[in-house]
Amino acid sequence: MKTFFTVVKLDYLQRTRNYAFLVTLCASLAIAYTFVPEPNANYSTIRIADYVGFYNSAWFGYATAIMTNIFLSLIGFYLINSAIKNDLETKVGQMITATPISNFNYLFCKVISNFLLLLTIVFTVFLMSIILFFLYNDGGPFQLFQFVKPYLIITIPTMFFIACLAIIFEVIFQKYSVLQNIIFFFLFSFLAFNSSKNETDFLLDTFGSQIVMHELEEKVKEITNTDKTTGISIGYISGNTTKAKKIKFTGVDFPLTFILSRIIWMVLGVIMIGFVSLFFHRFTIKNKLKTRENTKTIKENKSINELNLSELIISKINYSIFPLIKIELLLLIRKGKKWLWLINILGMILLAVLPLEIAHQMILPILWFLQVHRISDISTKEETFNIHLFTGSSYKPIQRIFTSKILASFFFMLIISLPLIIKLALNLNFLSSLFIVFGFLFLIVTSVVFGLLSKGKKIFEIVFFLITYANINGVIDVDYFGGFKKDLASIYTLLVLILILLGTSFFLKKKAAN
Amino acid sequence: MELDIQNVSKKYNRNTYGLKDFSIHIEKGILGLLGANGAGKSTLLKMIATVSKPTSGIITLNKNNILKDANYMRSQLGFLPQDFGVYPNLNAHEFLEYMAAMKGIGGKNLNIKITQLLEGLNLTEAAKKPIGTYSGGMKQRVGIAQALLNNPKIILFDEPTVGLDPEERVRFRNLISDLANDCIVILSSHIVSDIDTIADKVAILKNGSLVSYGNQKEIIEKVTNKVFETLIENTQLNNFKKEHIIVSTSKKEGKLKVRYIANHPIENSIKKTATLEDAYLFLNKIT
Repeated sequence: MKTFFTVVKLDYLQRTRNYAFLVTLCASLAIAYTFVPEPNANYSTIRIADYVGFYNSAWFGYATAIMTNIFLSLIGFYLINSAIKNDLETKVGQMITATPISNFNYLFCKVISNFLLLLTIVFTVFLMSIILFFLYNDGGPFQLFQFVKPYLIITIPTMFFIACLAIIFEVIFQKYSVLQNIIFFFLFSFLAFNSSKNETDFLLDTFGSQIVMHELEEKVKEITNTDKTTGISIGYISGNTTKAKKIKFTGVDFPLTFILSRIIWMVLGVIMIGFVSLFFHRFTIKNKLKTRENTKTIKENKSINELNLSELIISKINYSIFPLIKIELLLLIRKGKKWLWLINILGMILLAVLPLEIAHQMILPILWFLQVHRISDISTKEETFNIHLFTGSSYKPIQRIFTSKILASFFFMLIISLPLIIKLALNLNFLSSLFIVFGFLFLIVTSVVFGLLSKGKKIFEIVFFLITYANINGVIDVDYFGGFKKDLASIYTLLVLILILLGTSFFLKKKAAN
Repeated sequence: MELDIQNVSKKYNRNTYGLKDFSIHIEKGILGLLGANGAGKSTLLKMIATVSKPTSGIITLNKNNILKDANYMRSQLGFLPQDFGVYPNLNAHEFLEYMAAMKGIGGKNLNIKITQLLEGLNLTEAAKKPIGTYSGGMKQRVGIAQALLNNPKIILFDEPTVGLDPEERVRFRNLISDLANDCIVILSSHIVSDIDTIADKVAILKNGSLVSYGNQKEIIEKVTNKVFETLIENTQLNNFKKEHIIVSTSKKEGKLKVRYIANHPIENSIKKTATLEDAYLFLNKIT
């Protein structure tokens, strides 16, 4: 048992002692600040038709717990789904293989470590919810239990299940993080929007928040004296909040069966871990891969040529940036599994054949998101692949190499989006074509800036994921590619933003080089 | 060609120095940098390569301050870092093309030059296969090839023989000797045998400071008449270690044959000819 706690503690420490986690915590605080809107804010987060709750302890507790539950289930998965991959990449896994630790114990240690990471963020948000109460409350008393209860019954079991799910995905899909991300995206969408209406359904609700939403809906029906289904919205909804009426919400008396179901979800997670531990690779996948490749390629010719320096051709100076762009483009194209290109090609065909609106609003953001592994490490791949000492000692690294990476990404995204750009141009919709170009340019510079600031790609991936999720749900405020907005002013705003981010990226890169 | 390093320090925090008040003047030929892990060899090479900037001090190449004009150094530099990576999806030819572009060289003959380098370093067969599938030694040879792409006038090799098999090491040493005919080669290692056969001059570093600098003869002179060999019992070894600097031990006739450095030899010791390794160990212990 002592070993178990030691492993969990050390794993937790090594994962939290980095800059990216600090940035994540700060971002969590900032996001949590918006979970209960300031009384005069022009957006709402949880809303039942025209109603929101009085700002009392219960509303603050439940609203922040549900928002954390939904957002952290989504973001949290991407934050923690590299626990095993890290051990594989750092080769610590090879050492673990040689220890007597069982597969289940190892995976369970990782689950607990994942869970603790998520709990750290949940705790940060929890503290913020109390601060928000004292900032905005409508005069009710502070009741700590109204804060603790929803977190304890709704959020924490969900976080544990997500911690298990992340490990299960890592075991099943091994190194294929793109596949993990895509499948989780669909799984999350299915689970989050699988609405429940009766007590039995609530037991099957993975996230456990439907019961609260149902209670709120019933309260509104009571007030309005109607049986009509009211519109419930969770997330950021802009406008119209000043007209929202208020209902008094005093919390939910969770049935015992529901509380038990929350525990069962956690147990289910552990059982699934036990199941996947039966076929956990135990860090042999890389070795297998290497052995296979080695037998194929490393039959070295034992010729003993010697390099004759006097015969070497004298190299000519050529400071052109194009050879760099060419190789960078090649790297982007070759990144990831080859079969993923089939999806890309399918996406490009859909861009060309589907009606403009669907292609622009749905297919394009999804197709761009599928390139996340390509564009998320524009500014960090030198360090990741340990090439930075070469680039750092090369000729004009910032002006030439850094620029070439941005340009190659630009051309890559242009190729991916070309069918729609051409189609729009043929329809004389040049504004939308331009919006798309600015859209992917915005993604590229955002990735660069986030990479330079966080020294990793995770933060950008999470933000990109959230934006895409909002995009395909039709949230106009985060439309950066002209799917919904068609005005010139939005293009100008985007252009200014791009220029600021571009300037920032060169400034940060120069600062890092110095 | 002359490289001048004057009072260079690299400070990591208040009390930790990677390099401390380091000065050295280097001219054409091979300089061997010897030192234990953490002695400051890589820190020094990274600063010469303009990858890292010193906290204080000046580095000049042919009187040009490279801290102000890094590109002057970069345009004539060949650098093989100790721990470098590659893009595993590129093959050796593509990777060298990429490195050439980074260095700002190209033209019609680039492909011929890359082919020559790959042939000379016995990588022709694997040249079209992804580098991710290469063995450590093959990657190291790709690293050597990239360092020679731009007709460098100053070449930095940081622990270059790691991963090379004995035959490759010999070929590599020959190559370095050839290179040194018209450029500065700085070769760092903690393995004395990598350096003693080829270096014109040797600098020994310890804890970020220069302990000794000169040609091999001058350095070896510091232990002349101080190197001995004797036979001792196994049980005596620990006590022996406390009183002498042991260079090596081997088993002989049920006893231990010990090569050691001392001002006054113990009884039954035989005086031996001092080597660079003896001097390196001696200077590392006493300074």
